[in-house]
Amino acid sequence: MTPIEIAHILVVWTPFLAGGFVWNILISLVAMVIGTVLGAALARLRLARRKSIARASLVVTELTRNIPTFVFLFYLAFLIPAEFEVSGQIYLFPAWLKAALALSVAVVGFVSDNLFVAWQHWRSDNHLAALLFIPSWTMYLLIIVMASSTASVIGVGEIVSRCNVVIAAVGGDEMMIWVYAYAISYFFGFCFPLNWAMGRVKQRLLARVSTTPLQPVERSTEERLEINGRNLP
Amino acid sequence: MNSRLLLRTAWWLALLVILGSREALADRFDLIQKRGTLIVGVKSDYPPFGMLDANGQLIGFEPDLAAELAYRLGVQAQLVAVSSTNRLQKLEEGAIDVVIATLGDTPQRRQIATLIEPNYYASGVTVVAPPNARLSSWADLRGKKVCAIQGAYFNRSMAQRFLLDLQIFNGTRDAKLALRDGRCVAWLYDDTGIVGALSDPEWANYETPLPATMISPWAMAIAASERGLRLERTIADVIADWHHSGWLIRTEQRWGIHPSRFLAEMRELWTRASPVGGMVCARLPTGEWPAECRNKSLLTSTDVSGLQHVGLLIKERTGLNLTILYDAYDRDLFLHGLSMTLRLMVGSIAGSLILGCLGALTAERVPFLGGLARLLAALGRMTPPLLLIYLVFFGVGHIVVTRYGWTFDGSVIAIFCLSLYTGCAVLFALLEACAVLKNQNPGFALGGRSLARALRLAYAPVIASLVNVVKATGMASAIAVPELISASTAIVAEQGNAAVMMNVLMITYFLLVMGVVQFFNYLERRMRPHDAD
Repeated sequence: MTPIEIAHILVVWTPFLAGGFVWNILISLVAMVIGTVLGAALARLRLARRKSIARASLVVTELTRNIPTFVFLFYLAFLIPAEFEVSGQIYLFPAWLKAALALSVAVVGFVSDNLFVAWQHWRSDNHLAALLFIPSWTMYLLIIVMASSTASVIGVGEIVSRCNVVIAAVGGDEMMIWVYAYAISYFFGFCFPLNWAMGRVKQRLLARVSTTPLQPVERSTEERLEINGRNLP
Repeated sequence: MNSRLLLRTAWWLALLVILGSREALADRFDLIQKRGTLIVGVKSDYPPFGMLDANGQLIGFEPDLAAELAYRLGVQAQLVAVSSTNRLQKLEEGAIDVVIATLGDTPQRRQIATLIEPNYYASGVTVVAPPNARLSSWADLRGKKVCAIQGAYFNRSMAQRFLLDLQIFNGTRDAKLALRDGRCVAWLYDDTGIVGALSDPEWANYETPLPATMISPWAMAIAASERGLRLERTIADVIADWHHSGWLIRTEQRWGIHPSRFLAEMRELWTRASPVGGMVCARLPTGEWPAECRNKSLLTSTDVSGLQHVGLLIKERTGLNLTILYDAYDRDLFLHGLSMTLRLMVGSIAGSLILGCLGALTAERVPFLGGLARLLAALGRMTPPLLLIYLVFFGVGHIVVTRYGWTFDGSVIAIFCLSLYTGCAVLFALLEACAVLKNQNPGFALGGRSLARALRLAYAPVIASLVNVVKATGMASAIAVPELISASTAIVAEQGNAAVMMNVLMITYFLLVMGVVQFFNYLERRMRPHDAD
């Protein structure tokens, strides 16, 4: 196969693959929304006056941190029926929504930890430091977009499973490497610029935060934010 | 002749006849011997298992079994066509002696007839796919559109066990057309029915690429009243001998049936020698077959002992089907999966650390490669690990195989790819630590000794990355590495116990992740005194 033939095949299938990538973004956004709502609730509870509530919320956060999303994906795929009946009406529970739910577990832990810190900053009138949550959240969205590729294992028609469709349709074993590499370029092309931009925003914010004197305690929470931000799905 | 004597003789004769007929009624075996024929119900519409030839004679795999069975009993066989709906009814009426008509062995049927063990054949579910469909395992069909026929008993279970997107059609013809037009990637069908359904030359190049699943053993049946009597025992011994001698496999071959795995396994089982002498499958003093030679799905806790008893008792009392507790095969599968997952975890942790440290040393020490290493690491962090696994396993793997003939183990590739992804995160954490150390001491340079200092400073983010890679090891299942997820989905596929197995899988994984976290916490505590100096 000549490079021109390979490029031609990739161009022909681009709309199909790009359509798959839209699904990746959609699944990720849904996961982020669900995870942010639940995570925010947990973060709020961690600030509760009553120690027992704060502790319980922390335990739940710890729990979500230790759940492997890839395994959870299978768990939901097998245990939530594809369709269910409520008072005579049949509702579908599509596989992409199961994938979004599985991914949202990781988001819950992330948001609970980071929003908790941001909230504390906000309360102590350290508004700039609190705003750090926004670039962190966006960078985490990118991590979820990458993780959304795992939805292919339960048959969601996102970009990775569409790669397999293309390979089966084109039939050439030589094409495999190019189709997968092409799909990787989508993730890189989407994630790299956004990640870089958010990195810059974060640096600027941090630079402005450090001009205002920080309490030593807050330094350590700052470090913790950095650690928890790495809690990947 | 004395009339009284005559009366008495007549009375005795009458009694004898009554008793004699009682005897005949009670034991069908004698009736068959007396009448000299064995009346067998077989199918007439299920080629090649039971069908009509050009002369209207019943022929096929099952009629051959009927003839051989009659021969063994020393009588003639008389074949009667039966259907799926009337076969057990005719048996109950006494119109036929034996049913050999594709009858699946189920607990419900055991209530209304005597089903004879050992089972003589088994059907399973498989798919018909167009040529070059690239299906190598059932997992390849997850979420895919698969054609099926309305009312097939396996539709629902198959959809649940393999996550298929079933397209239900009214009849065989519609499903075949849909498959031909590409409206589904495969057609779900009973593997014993396929020969008949695909007899048309147009379908000659269609394939059945997947091993049959949901194996349902077939049993010969006799009337419920014959349970434990001579007929049951005699037929059972004949079938046992067929498995032992391989006669069933030869008969299957003669009818051009695709070799069934069930018959091969039964042959192995019924010829296996016991370590204490004799055969494994020999009748116990009670007259029963040993538990391991019986249909496993129909055993109850009273049939077995030990761990198997406990597992079955839990199933009967609570409905929790913990096959990994009582089924030796499933238990092995799960334990192997567990050990593979542990190896993947240890391998990925070690691989990530090694690649991360090597990358950081390259980036810091080698003048020209530094920028390149950083760029590659950034690329590595932006590549979804699952795609990387596919790229290396299928894409690169294909090139390496065709050019050099080398093949790589899937688990090695999974460890490599996961380590590469996580190694990039470790690398960046180390570089950040280096920046801090350089800030404190401008003369700092990363090297063998100072690497330990950088690692200690970057401990928390490095550990977070390592915990993440442990959580991601399940991705190896995507390329069929036999780890925990693969083992669990395989067990669900065979047993249909999705709820139990998925909870077992989730809890096991959760505990493994917890264990890794605890281990690193312990290490951190051990390292702390060093930090002080």
